[in-house]
Amino acid sequence: MMRTAWRIFVASWKHVWRNLWIGLATVVVFTVALLSVNVLIATNVLLERAVQFIEDRVDVTVLFQPNTPQGVLDQAKFYLTSLPQTASVQIVSADDALAAFKERNKGNQKILDALAELPGNPLGAELVIKAHDTADYPFLLDAVRNPQYLPFIHTSSYEDHRDAIAWIEDAARSLRLFGSALVAIFALFGLLAAFNAIRVAIYTQREEIAIMRLVGATSGYIRWPFVLEGVWLAAFAALITAGAVAFGMAYGEPRLAQFFGMDTGLRDFYASEWPLLVLAEFGSMALLSACVSWIAAGRYIKR
Amino acid sequence: MIVLEHVSKTYYPQSVGLDDVSLRIEPGEFVSIVGQSGAGKTTLAKILMAEEQPSAGRIEIGGWDITNIRAREIPELRRQIGVIFQDYKLLPKKTVAENVAFALEVSGAKGAHIREVVPQVLKIVGLEDRAHRFPRQLSGGEQQRVVIARSLVHRPKVLLADEPTGNLDTLNTQDIMDLLVKINAFGTTVVLVTHNREVVNALRRRVITLKDGRIVTDHQHGKYTL
Repeated sequence: MMRTAWRIFVASWKHVWRNLWIGLATVVVFTVALLSVNVLIATNVLLERAVQFIEDRVDVTVLFQPNTPQGVLDQAKFYLTSLPQTASVQIVSADDALAAFKERNKGNQKILDALAELPGNPLGAELVIKAHDTADYPFLLDAVRNPQYLPFIHTSSYEDHRDAIAWIEDAARSLRLFGSALVAIFALFGLLAAFNAIRVAIYTQREEIAIMRLVGATSGYIRWPFVLEGVWLAAFAALITAGAVAFGMAYGEPRLAQFFGMDTGLRDFYASEWPLLVLAEFGSMALLSACVSWIAAGRYIKR
Repeated sequence: MIVLEHVSKTYYPQSVGLDDVSLRIEPGEFVSIVGQSGAGKTTLAKILMAEEQPSAGRIEIGGWDITNIRAREIPELRRQIGVIFQDYKLLPKKTVAENVAFALEVSGAKGAHIREVVPQVLKIVGLEDRAHRFPRQLSGGEQQRVVIARSLVHRPKVLLADEPTGNLDTLNTQDIMDLLVKINAFGTTVVLVTHNREVVNALRRRVITLKDGRIVTDHQHGKYTL
C-alpha cells in the first residue's frame, strides 16, 4: 500500500515536470482566476472602508440654549453614553462652540462684525453624538428630546443630515450586495476556467491513459497521479497568488491610501485574514482540480 | 492453453467482427492468425486481451474463463498476457527503463525486483544502452523491442503480437521475428496477428486463416494462402 502510494506520489511529480508547458498554462489560468477573486475581495474591502469612512463623518449635534446649566449637559451626556446605540458623546462648551464658529467664518467679515455687536456669547453648548449605526440616529435624537432635556434644547442638526444618512445607508447596502455578487460571479468564472484548463491538460494525455490501462494499470493507479498533479498545480497557483497579493500590499497599498487620502483597510484585512484566504483559495482550487482530474482521466480509461 | 468456443462478435447494427469461431491453442505453440483487412484478426486480438467483449461464445486463457470478465479483473489479465502493438503504445513521457518498469510497478512489484528485472529484459532485446532514452529518441525497430521487453517483464505464458512488424522495414522485421521465435523457444505461447506474407511463410508454424470473421483454414505447418 505504502509502496503504491509512494509510486503515485513520484509519478505525479514526474507528470508535473514532464508536462511543464501544459502545467504552466494550467497554473497561469488558476492564478488569474484566484487573482481576479482577490481583486474583487480587495475592492469589497475598499468599498466597506469607504462606507465606514463616510459613516464616521456623520454625527448629530444637539444645540442647547445659551446658559444651559452644566449639570444638565453632564446628565444628558451620561444618559446618552449609557445607551447601547451610542458610540460616543462629546460636550462642546459654549466658548468652544463660539471659537469654532469664528474659525469657520474667519473669511466672512460681516458675520464677525455682527457677532461683535452682540453683548455676549449667543451660542449655547453642544452635544456631538455618534452612533454605532447610522440607522440609530433617529432613536438617539428621540432619546435626548425627552421632557427632562427638551426645554434646554435649541435645535438639533439631524434634520440637515437626514437625507445624507439615508443615502449612505442605501449606498452601503447596495455596494455590499453588489460587491458580494461580483465576488461570487468572478469566483464562478475562475472555477470554470480552471475546470477547462484541467480538462484540456488531461485530454492531451488521453493516449497515455489508454496505454497505461493496456499494460495492466488499475483505474486508481492511473487516476491518482493526475489528481495529485492537479493538487500540486493548485498549490503553485495559490503560492503565486499569495506572493502577488503580498507584493500589492507592499507597493500598491501605500499609493492607494495616498490616492484616497485615507487608510484603505487592506493591510489590516490581509494581516488578519491571510491564513484563511490562502487556505480557502488553495483548498477550493485543489478540490476542484482533484475532482475534475478524477472525472476527466476516467473518461479515457476504457476496458 | 487458449480456448475459444463458438465466439462471435457483432458490432452495432449488423457488422460482423467474428462469426462462430472455435479454436484451441496449446501451451508453447507459435500460431499466426492471418487474413485480409476486415477479416476479424484485430477483433480476435482485442477479445483475447479483453479490450472487447464477445457477443456470444466462451473464451478461456490458462484455465481462466474471461468471457464475462469484470472491469476490475482486466488489469490482472493484462499482467498475465504480454501484448505487442503495431503502433508500439509506449508512454512518451517515460524513458525506456521507466516504460518497462511501469508494467511491473502497476502490479505492485518491489523496487529491488524491478531494478533487477528491467536491465535483464532490456539486455534480452538488446537495448541495455538505451535505458535512459525517451521513445522519441529511438527508431521504430528499437521502440518495438522496448514493447517486447515490457511484455516480458511478467514472464507471461502468452504473448499476443498484433501486427508487430506493420511499421517496420525488412531488417527490423527480421529482428523482431527472431526475438519472438526466441521467446517462444523458452516456452511462451506466441499468437501473432499479421497480414505479412513473408513473415508467415518464413515461420512454417501453425497458421489460422480468417475470412469474414470465420476460420477458413487451420494448418499446423501452414503458409499464407490468401
